[in-house]
Amino acid sequence: MSATLAAARPEAAAGRTTFVALAAREMRRFVVNPVFLFVVGMTAWTTWAGRSPSVTEIDTVNPYPAIFLGGFGMMATFWLTRSMRASEPVVGVTPTALSARTAALCTVAVVPFLCGCLTLFAFLHFHPVGDSVYGAFSPPAQVAVLVGQIVVPSLGGPLLGVALGCWVRFPGAGFVLFLILYGWVSLVTILSMSHPDSTPVAVLRLFAPFAFFTLHGNAADVTAWRGSPWFFTGWQLALCAIAVLVALLRGAEGRARFRIIGTLSVVPVAAVIMLVLAGTGGFTHAVTA
Amino acid sequence: MLTASISLRDVGRRFGATRALADVDLDLKPGVIGLLGPNGAGKTTLLRLLATALPPTQGQVSVLGLDPEVPAERTGIRRQLGYLPQEVGFPRGFTAFAFVDYIALLKEWTEPAARHAEVRRVLDLVGLSDLGPKRIRAMSGGQRRRVALAQALLGSPLVLILDEPTTGVDPEQRVTLRTVLAEIARTSIVVLSTHQTEDVAALCERVIVLDRGRVRYDGPVTDLVGQAAGRVWLADEPDPAASVSWRTGTGRYRNVGVHARDGVEHVEPSLEDAYLLLRGGSPESKPAEEVAS
Repeated sequence: MSATLAAARPEAAAGRTTFVALAAREMRRFVVNPVFLFVVGMTAWTTWAGRSPSVTEIDTVNPYPAIFLGGFGMMATFWLTRSMRASEPVVGVTPTALSARTAALCTVAVVPFLCGCLTLFAFLHFHPVGDSVYGAFSPPAQVAVLVGQIVVPSLGGPLLGVALGCWVRFPGAGFVLFLILYGWVSLVTILSMSHPDSTPVAVLRLFAPFAFFTLHGNAADVTAWRGSPWFFTGWQLALCAIAVLVALLRGAEGRARFRIIGTLSVVPVAAVIMLVLAGTGGFTHAVTA
Repeated sequence: MLTASISLRDVGRRFGATRALADVDLDLKPGVIGLLGPNGAGKTTLLRLLATALPPTQGQVSVLGLDPEVPAERTGIRRQLGYLPQEVGFPRGFTAFAFVDYIALLKEWTEPAARHAEVRRVLDLVGLSDLGPKRIRAMSGGQRRRVALAQALLGSPLVLILDEPTTGVDPEQRVTLRTVLAEIARTSIVVLSTHQTEDVAALCERVIVLDRGRVRYDGPVTDLVGQAAGRVWLADEPDPAASVSWRTGTGRYRNVGVHARDGVEHVEPSLEDAYLLLRGGSPESKPAEEVAS
């Protein structure tokens, strides 16, 4: 027993300093998570494999970043959020409020988001804008499609994982939600194949955090489906905002809780408007080029 | 400048129709205060109230002169609080050092060098300085308990709330722990809930006995023990006059009761004897009181 008992209490650090340090700590925990390392490896491999000249449309390649960075990223942040639950009796009486801890977890999503940005640049390197694989979309719309299919899901999936981890106790909830989303996207994509010109089907297809915009019909043609990729990105970003607000609502009290609830009553309305505009915008019918 | 003081006025806590605490009035000053009582007496509920983990449903709690009901003041209390709950779970994959370091970060130790030094200090205090890099899941129950205790000691808090800190800890470490707590109690309030009466006898000047959510005794340990003087005796058989009797290692029976018969062999009472006498000799636990909601 050589330890001293000298009090060494820190000055009450500003909340921002603690938040920055905590966010950095959570990012480090996320980055060394085996699921995330698997995600990065698979995303890099599928992007590299997708550079092949035999690729005739983007949708044979684009789901992978969304699946890995978004879907598996969601499971990783879900695990990260839940990991401290057993220690809540200790963690819950520290000066760092639950909302600050949740916000620090949300910042973790920056890591897969940056990975998504890198993937986007790699994809554009392999398939420059204007390439026939994008179908009839204009060059700016082609970038919007890629942002909505690669970058935003990489941000939104991990944010959804944090929100889920804050509210749901079931340990397999992340995987179950991943299966549900995967099943829904598959179902509405099949519907879009049979009803490519239908507005309701277009809205249904876009009523998801990920959506296909093109279909490779035969050896030569790529069909661009209905829907505005710009407004779809707006819808996705609104979903991201909802995920953050729902996560922060857990443990919020007083004025902060009032503000979150107030914002939560506005953002879903904006999301619905974006969804309707996304479904009704863009091409008025499927265009094959 | 915060002063180490806690006051509870007419404090109660209900869980639905169950009253866990009722009409508790206490003033706590620096020192080690022992909290005794049977299972379900409300000890853990009282500690959670003091640790700002639970609000009261009745009465006023003031810790360090601050009101835990006010979020900003609650944060102020938590800056000066160390809390060891009855049960602590640990995140998968964490080492002892990493866990205590994480809690230190949440306790606003943002400067890495100072934080790491503090983590090493508290791990040393609980005798785990060599086991810092060991994964908590690979540790024994007693070692895990000491990791949990280490995080409570971070920053030498003004208020230290310990719920059964010595569970699973070996006798040597318990003695070490007593030394540590006695030192901290020079300037801090240490509230120690335990079933180990010998820990209370060795450490505490003051003891609070809870029973069915109410304070049954609050005063010096010596006074409580003094109440049992002349009421503990040895005999070759269990004495029907005793409230409770048990066979000791010598083969004789230790009897505790209010009315000892004449001519029996009286012995020096222990805190455990006094506690059993206070509780009417019943070692059985009684459930928390049911009330009409």
